[in-house]
Amino acid sequence: MNNPGVGQPTDRTLLERIRRGDTSGAAELFERYAPALLRFTDRLLSDRGTAEEVTQEVFVKVISRAHQYDGRAEVSSWLFAIAANACRDRKRRDRRATIVPLEAVPEPAQKGEGVESAIGDRERRDAVRRALSALSEEQREALVLARYHGLPYAEIAEVLGISVGAVKTRIFRAVEALKIRFSEGEASWNAAN
Amino acid sequence: MECSELTALVVGDLTGETNEEARERLSRHLSSCAQCREEKTRIESAWRLLGQDADAPVTSDFRRASLALIEDEMIRRRVRSFRPRPRWAIPLAYAAGLAVAAAGGAFVARQAGKTPAPAGTATAAANEQTSTTALPNLESGARLANVSYSAPDAQGRIGVSFDMESRRTVVGKPGDPELAKLLAYLVSRSTQTSGERSQAIEQVSSTYASRTVPASPEIVRALTSTLKRDPNPGVRKKAADALAAFPATPEIRAAFLEALSADRNPAVRLVAVEALAAAAKESPDPRTIESLREKAVDPAENGFVRAKAASALKGMEF
Repeated sequence: MNNPGVGQPTDRTLLERIRRGDTSGAAELFERYAPALLRFTDRLLSDRGTAEEVTQEVFVKVISRAHQYDGRAEVSSWLFAIAANACRDRKRRDRRATIVPLEAVPEPAQKGEGVESAIGDRERRDAVRRALSALSEEQREALVLARYHGLPYAEIAEVLGISVGAVKTRIFRAVEALKIRFSEGEASWNAAN
Repeated sequence: MECSELTALVVGDLTGETNEEARERLSRHLSSCAQCREEKTRIESAWRLLGQDADAPVTSDFRRASLALIEDEMIRRRVRSFRPRPRWAIPLAYAAGLAVAAAGGAFVARQAGKTPAPAGTATAAANEQTSTTALPNLESGARLANVSYSAPDAQGRIGVSFDMESRRTVVGKPGDPELAKLLAYLVSRSTQTSGERSQAIEQVSSTYASRTVPASPEIVRALTSTLKRDPNPGVRKKAADALAAFPATPEIRAAFLEALSADRNPAVRLVAVEALAAAAKESPDPRTIESLREKAVDPAENGFVRAKAASALKGMEF
């Protein structure tokens, strides 16, 4: 997914350097993948601070498990798989704490003349984030990888450890749910667009 | 093509997974089905709206903290690979020490023409000696490497082992000032890695959270200082969790108020809200209630924190 430039070490070379204890290899892998992994964890967890922590955990796990990488999947798929598992673990742990779902949080009262005029970029982003949060964990994982990371279905299947058919079904259901959710506010969004 | 296939085909087209043949089938169907044309517009609109969600940027603080963490972890792994320490090494060392002590005792007793002391007495004496292992001088701020903790023994004593020129183990009960000093040191010293500081906080939590033995002022100071200043959000969160389990002294309450207003990490602020709400229930104070009220209505605050502050206020009686 991340093509290194000419003369740049490949992902596998970086993992090999990590295995040998080369810190610069780990730092280079971080620079290469942190932006994508942070975007991924942020969308799965809906919380920037937690996403940063989990992304750091991913790199710590990569360091400790570098010797377990068997080369069958792309390094990028392996990293996303670790990130997806780390997000699931974090959610399981946080479920024990009393966390209120984002969609249950009341929105601040709209100010100004009307709802349509008040729907700005931030509101739209929040609406999208709430819609993503309302999807099931499985649907969200598949959709985020397809929509925001442009992964082909076969690679998504590899990351999530499921069949290509299951990927299609999850994305299909996610889009169906979003279509219904968004159509309620479609008029105002289209007007704002 | 059936209308029921529409979503899959349109999504396939949007993700680049649809082949030419399917695209043509879709196109033929759309030319004769107004309902599917409308539906296709809705799907594409939903897909486009998803693009409104902004990407989380890698901030310079996050990058710096992560690279420091990576460096720590790489160093830790290098140390481990050079100095493997099998699990049985420490118990074996203890057993060898006890055997030597018992043999020495028997030899001295025989020399004095007396009956050797029973083995149990020798063990107790040896244990007593282990418990008084001197705490090294920590004033220099030295790094204590390869720290490990042992579970409480029958007398409630825990052991803290570390490398400092040689391998050392300090054993003591939770109320022992030397042990408390060592734990406080491990919690707050920046010379320790984030992982080591986290581990020390976990040990402090499991040792003092039951409240049977109160944490020493030194430990509370180390935890509040970590909550305020540690660069790693995970470590700050752990410090907050540990403090939340202690009785809310004014010092702890002040640390949580500061975390609530200044900590960049919402998970830390969330713990601060919970701890302050619990403290305010026991003894309400205006500053705590005002801080919670501000958070509950702050539109810039994270939704979880805002909701938690609001629900905490609802549960209070003024």
